[in-house]
Amino acid sequence: MTLYIVRKLAFFLLAVFAASIAIFLLIRGAGGNVAAIILGKDATADAINALAQQYGLDRPMVVQYFDWIGNIFRGDLGRSFRTNEAVTDLVVSRLSISIPLCVSGLLLGLLIAIPAGTYSALNSDKPLGALITILSQVGIAVPVFWAGILLSLLFGVRLGWLPTGGWTNWSADFWGAVRSLVLPIISLGLILGASLTRYVRSAVLDVMNQDYVRTARATGMTRMEALLQVGLRNAALPIATVVGLQIAELIGGTVIIETVFSLPGLSRMILANVAAREVIVVQSTVMLIIIFVMFINLIVDLLYGVLDPRVRLAR
Amino acid sequence: MSAIATNKPAKSRRRPRWLSNTALLLGIVISVAFLAIALLSAFYLPHNPNVPRIPDRLLPAGSPGYVLGTDVLGRDILSQLMVGARTSLLVGAGGALISLIIGTVAGLSAAAFGRIADETISRGADILLSIPGIVTALVLAATIGSGALTTVLALSAFFTPSFTRVIRSAAMSVLQEDFITAARLYGRPTWFILLRHILPNVAGVIIVQFTLFFAAGILTEAGLSYLGVGVTRPSISWGMMLNEAQQQVGISSPLAMWPGLAIVTVVLGLNLLGDGLRDVLDPRLSRRGA
Repeated sequence: MTLYIVRKLAFFLLAVFAASIAIFLLIRGAGGNVAAIILGKDATADAINALAQQYGLDRPMVVQYFDWIGNIFRGDLGRSFRTNEAVTDLVVSRLSISIPLCVSGLLLGLLIAIPAGTYSALNSDKPLGALITILSQVGIAVPVFWAGILLSLLFGVRLGWLPTGGWTNWSADFWGAVRSLVLPIISLGLILGASLTRYVRSAVLDVMNQDYVRTARATGMTRMEALLQVGLRNAALPIATVVGLQIAELIGGTVIIETVFSLPGLSRMILANVAAREVIVVQSTVMLIIIFVMFINLIVDLLYGVLDPRVRLAR
Repeated sequence: MSAIATNKPAKSRRRPRWLSNTALLLGIVISVAFLAIALLSAFYLPHNPNVPRIPDRLLPAGSPGYVLGTDVLGRDILSQLMVGARTSLLVGAGGALISLIIGTVAGLSAAAFGRIADETISRGADILLSIPGIVTALVLAATIGSGALTTVLALSAFFTPSFTRVIRSAAMSVLQEDFITAARLYGRPTWFILLRHILPNVAGVIIVQFTLFFAAGILTEAGLSYLGVGVTRPSISWGMMLNEAQQQVGISSPLAMWPGLAIVTVVLGLNLLGDGLRDVLDPRLSRRGA
């Protein structure tokens, strides 16, 4: 197990390193002169040079790269060119919206998908089982932002039960903040739940066709008992993989849903900075998101090793 | 993950046959209609979708001359939807096509050119997979500016690693077959075996994946254009229409219905087509989708 953990950790670090180089090159390479991008088309050469000098953008790329990555690991994400605010401060206050939104969305998705997927796998010949299959197929085709718009039309505009957007701080009005997050979380959870249901269903179906389940059934267990006692751990493996892969999707969904409900979360900040061409802010926050996704994948991989001895023993 | 032994094919049928057949039929009908409308929009539009006609603003569906009504600037909704179909087709299919080409080359290489090639390509794909597509799109929008081409690039970057993995695993299983060993013994070079024997055998997988990524591309494009970092006017995207509609949603909710319905219908149709084709072309994979 130790060897397995070390290998996975090494790959995690390698992946973060590779991704940081990719992001750095993409921004510096594809974008060209960063100072020119920031100042816009009308900037004079002198102004561009002055800005480049002030922020050290005229130094060799390698130096700039190690400076940037070193600072990230020290918790310093750089400063905004326009407002001179520290990016770290901007990010931390916004995570208090994005993280609860993202995590609750995932939990709601699992809460929908695990029972619905299991039921439809065990009862594919019954009307409700078929209905779940159809609903999840349709749900996969629904863009998360449209779900958000429809929910806010219904519960916000028509019924007036919940806010259609906006945000009050956790400390100022706790329940107000919760109310602001309800519709975004439901939108995220429903759409994520629809695609997860499919995976849960096929994972359970696979397990139910295994010999060990047949053996368990032969001892007199019902299908449900067999699933819970011998099937669950096996079905958990592919589901864990899919959840890991869905994290990238979930982040994308969170970005969009924050826009639908005008929540001032992390992604709204990135979007505003994309529009303002604050290249350094975008570069650092994007890197932060990637590290987060990779970290979740690392945890999924480690869980995999715990759940399945074949994985950690494989060379 | 590939260390897990794959299970033998299921004996029981996964879903009722009537459901599978209806689904495939529906998928074909929707996909063909979508293609037809997208093509038609290049030759015929009821109105110019970008020209505002303020006196005709916010007409309801069924108004004379405007089948689906007009938006807040008096622009014809139907014409916008038709151009939106063309955008979805070009961007979605473009992104899927580029990732198909790169993914097939990379996947086949990983499968056939030894352990080092395989490790490099597979680990590279793993790394790329953990970068959310939307993040790539944002980075590209911040550096080279947003637009249809940027969106296609972002989609390609996002889909290529998944495509590579699927093609790799399909090619791996074909490589186990006896006729490959026979071809090797016969002295055929690896590239010949790849083109002559592997490629035709993974063609089904490629077609199925293309259809599914096409659908995913349309969804992603809509999302990016909704955020304002995808397609911009004078091009029109369904996601962009939804963004514009949302700002007026208090006034006229039908505006938020049409583009959404268009996205759901087309994505559903392509997904059904992809799943149906998988049942037909690639029975080995059909277990997974269910």
